[in-house]
Amino acid sequence: MKNMHRSLAMSIAIALGSWGGLAHAQTTLNVISGGSQNMVDYITDYLGPLFEKQNPGVKVSVVGTGPDDAGSQKMLEKLQAQKSAGVTSWDTDVVIPNQQKTGEMVQDGLLMKYRDSIPTGKYAVSQSAKQALGVNVDGYVMPMFESQTAIAYNPDLVKNPPGSYDELRAFVAKNPKAFGYNGLKNGMSGVAFVVGWMYAYGGNPETVQQGPYDTKNSAGWKKAFSELKSFNQQVVFTPGNAGTLDMLNRGEIAMGPVWVDMFQSWKAEGRLAPNLRLKILSPGMPGQPYYYAIPAKAKNVDLAKKFIALATSPEVQAEGIVKRFNWYPGIDANVVKPALDPKVWNALFVDITPADLAKNGKPFPLAPYFKDLREQYEAQVQN
Amino acid sequence: MTVARLSGDTQLGRLGPALLLMAPAVVMVGLLFVYPLLVSLAFAFRNEATGAWGLANFHKAFALYGGDIALTAGVTVLSTALVGVLAIAIAGYLTLGENPRAVFILRWLYRWPLFIPFVVAAQLMRTFLAKNGMLNNALMSLGVVDPLHAISLLDWRGVVVTFVWKQLPFAALLISGAMASMDRSMIESARGLGAGRLRILLEIVVPQVQSTVFVALILSFVTMLSALSVPMMLVAGSPTLLTVDMAWRVNSYGDYGVANALGFVSFAMSGVAAWFYLRQGLREGGKPR
Repeated sequence: MKNMHRSLAMSIAIALGSWGGLAHAQTTLNVISGGSQNMVDYITDYLGPLFEKQNPGVKVSVVGTGPDDAGSQKMLEKLQAQKSAGVTSWDTDVVIPNQQKTGEMVQDGLLMKYRDSIPTGKYAVSQSAKQALGVNVDGYVMPMFESQTAIAYNPDLVKNPPGSYDELRAFVAKNPKAFGYNGLKNGMSGVAFVVGWMYAYGGNPETVQQGPYDTKNSAGWKKAFSELKSFNQQVVFTPGNAGTLDMLNRGEIAMGPVWVDMFQSWKAEGRLAPNLRLKILSPGMPGQPYYYAIPAKAKNVDLAKKFIALATSPEVQAEGIVKRFNWYPGIDANVVKPALDPKVWNALFVDITPADLAKNGKPFPLAPYFKDLREQYEAQVQN
Repeated sequence: MTVARLSGDTQLGRLGPALLLMAPAVVMVGLLFVYPLLVSLAFAFRNEATGAWGLANFHKAFALYGGDIALTAGVTVLSTALVGVLAIAIAGYLTLGENPRAVFILRWLYRWPLFIPFVVAAQLMRTFLAKNGMLNNALMSLGVVDPLHAISLLDWRGVVVTFVWKQLPFAALLISGAMASMDRSMIESARGLGAGRLRILLEIVVPQVQSTVFVALILSFVTMLSALSVPMMLVAGSPTLLTVDMAWRVNSYGDYGVANALGFVSFAMSGVAAWFYLRQGLREGGKPR
């Protein structure tokens, strides 16, 4: 009887021990990604397996929270809740938020300053690696990629596509209902179109992009919005970023603002008519990066740093970001280019040249201007 | 004195287990529903930036989304009315129809949308109702619509179509159930006296299942009022429904104040429906169904 007890106790101890050992060997790196489904696919299909192969015993678990501010707001609230509850070890190791919410997270003390402690930190050279809509995020982020909005058009229907907002207005006046965009509440490509409009007609675009914030600088918006309101009478409204591409594809509109990466990926997958082309309107349309960041009290900090270092290495940026997912690299393009076949590199710039991008690729406005802009659109254009 | 206390004790003793059994449900409802509801109603009156209490959120809500509030009320009332008419028609045919094969097919068909989630229904409609979508393509090939005049229904009309399509089986299921459990002798005698089917439906059947019709419509109304995915996916541009505006305030501005104010308006609308629902329940003997 006594023996049986002892053997029972021993087997339980062995069972518990091996279970504990197993739990130790299998560390899970928890990643939360904003953005569309393609960003989650990027981790599950490419980056996650690559990292797991290099780090045996580690499992990368990724959850997508969805595009735009909405998706990134969810992770902000999750981190905020853990901070408010006084939790010492947070359940998220890496977050991938958009610009607006990254700024808010840094201001709320939800992120960790880590960039200078990873080997690829030196490649973060772009303006957006330092500033996120006017908030200083230097050291807290590594850009995952840069994305850009542009006008997609059907060359069969539009022989000479407009190259500027002025030309677009002339085109729309002549061809009512041929241009479509997704308004303000239905995805960022529509927001980007409105922002570009305000850069063209609202006055003081540099101040709106760089600061300082002063409502004096937005005095010209009223006129620009009333012109946009009459412009809107002659366009079609589309249901969302994907909605614009769908309508282009079905021939319901001839032209509309889209995200370049989404356009290229859909085209590569055969979901878009192959003849559709892109063009950035001058004086400029906005683009934005997504960032890799580490929550202030992440559980697996070292692993998170290792993960981000891999993700922002020139090889992964070349193979994953540029070649497979059609984004512009987040890190210094000069170190990415040598790692790529020139053909792939050129395909990325087939419609929009690096010169176009340098001249007409703009950031979104400073956060307070951006908020005013959206709210005034609601009050003056939608009502 | 002793007797009174004793009877009080036994009453408590009898009540004890009942209270204990109810407690988990009451606590759940209290914590997860009543408490957030009250907080959100209260915070509709709070200015988050200054911490002051007042009507500022409501002013902003009505200034920016007044049209959307009216549209939301209009769309849900119209959809509810259409659901009512069509559900009575379907249930009526299931009860009074004389062609057994048609009744069988209808009975089999009408429930399908019940098993399809709102978001899937919205995605279906997005391609079905578009300008060059399936509906218009079918009409064009039949020569009913010419391609130049085809219009997209992706606005409030699309929302009404989706709501009705989705809620109709639910209402028809409840109403046809009530009709089936009715005493058929009155129908038979009316038929014997030469009444037409439409007249029997409207003058004999519907008055008897009135309370079920009412309950089905109120529940449909509240469900449609709270749907976010359908207007989000179908309505291009503005005006749109309140749920989209609420999500927009929270997601884009982190502004819970105005979102709560819009929520308050939405609660007020469903509150009217709830009042009718409870009144109906009381009339039937204090047991809301």
